[in-house]
Amino acid sequence: MKPPLRGLLLAGGRSTRMGRDKASMILRGNGQTQAANALRLLEGSCAGVFLSLREGQEKPEGCGSVEILRDAVSCGGPLAGILTAMRHDPEAAWLVLACDLPFVDAEVVSLLLAGRDDAPFTAFASAVDGLPEPLCAVYGPAALPILEEHAARGHVCPRHIMAEEGARLLQLPAAARHALENINTPRDLEMMTRFGDPGAAPPEPAGKTPGREVRLGWFGFLAEQRGRREEMLVTPAGTVGELFAELAAREGTGGLTSGVRFAVNDEFASPDHPLKAGDKVVFMPPFSGG
Amino acid sequence: MNVDFSISQHPLDITPLREAIASPDCGGFVHFEGRVRNHHAGRAVTALRYEAYRELAEKEGARIVAEISRKHGVRAAAVHAVGDLRPGDLAVWVGAAAAHREAAFAACRELIDAIKERVPVWKHETYADGKTSWIAGCDHAGTAGNPDHP
Repeated sequence: MKPPLRGLLLAGGRSTRMGRDKASMILRGNGQTQAANALRLLEGSCAGVFLSLREGQEKPEGCGSVEILRDAVSCGGPLAGILTAMRHDPEAAWLVLACDLPFVDAEVVSLLLAGRDDAPFTAFASAVDGLPEPLCAVYGPAALPILEEHAARGHVCPRHIMAEEGARLLQLPAAARHALENINTPRDLEMMTRFGDPGAAPPEPAGKTPGREVRLGWFGFLAEQRGRREEMLVTPAGTVGELFAELAAREGTGGLTSGVRFAVNDEFASPDHPLKAGDKVVFMPPFSGG
Repeated sequence: MNVDFSISQHPLDITPLREAIASPDCGGFVHFEGRVRNHHAGRAVTALRYEAYRELAEKEGARIVAEISRKHGVRAAAVHAVGDLRPGDLAVWVGAAAAHREAAFAACRELIDAIKERVPVWKHETYADGKTSWIAGCDHAGTAGNPDHP
């Protein structure tokens, strides 16, 4: 018999990089907070939905009367919320969703649920490195002892736990390849509000905008995907953010996601940094030094 | 205060850095060595390549060393390797020297955390089964140093 499915919205993060509570932000066009949209999504498929918060944290706006589970595990991070919930109802399977994934919609959730079986973990594979995406995933009852054991050893990254233990991995369809991009910094938010949903078609250049030639530099997996480390490009884009949106939409470079940081002429740059002819522009994937 | 950060081809020679920051007025010297681990996410790692955006990495690394030296009143330096490394090889070295150990420990910890977060360096792993992968930074640990889970 299939275990009942509970929904867990993770909203206990400190949003330190964003500087304000991500769950209370209004990111989609319907005027609802991120937490409200995500709760509605979970309510659509789960028998019982819970909101995961830190001890002492205020409830984000727009959450109504949802039942709250406060972290009762000291390991911190999302694992504390997930363990608290699974201990609350160890017989259930848990659909876990983070509050900073504004592009997860009913279609993505139904793909996830259709793909699950009785494996401890069912998750989408990251478009970047193929590892499981743990914060839009199903944790079956069999996941609880596994998570407890890792937590006891100080392993608190659910992504690494899933990768090590083996998860049932699902592929996102090409049309939904941006669905699991999260919003961590004011810059991610700015990119989203300026350019709309990732994956949307780029705005048509107005008339015959004179292009400027810039030098692009690539590193890491982006260099591998491009098959080159440098190239020249003529673009109508006026800012580095517009150039990014143009490339991401036109060329479908899978790694050009919201986690990418920008540099212009060997210095970090914000999306509104103006482009001049001859500029050197680098889009940097998430760093992994050390 | 001493400021030094570099991106250097493997293998690293840290003797000059140790000598540069050791000082008779510093009774505490803490260093951290990041070495290549032979496993990642349950897979056996046989080789690892680091690449860096050197121009920006050295600028940002120098800013980090300067900020943390000033904050804690320590002498500090750091170096990150690029090139082809094997398990056990030295990938990054961070050192902080201060009059007393508290400042040296705190500065050393902050230096390595900031370097991992802010310096454009990328890791490419090769596994025992011949597969390879670029590693993206981990956002899910949620430890005291990285509390920003959703």
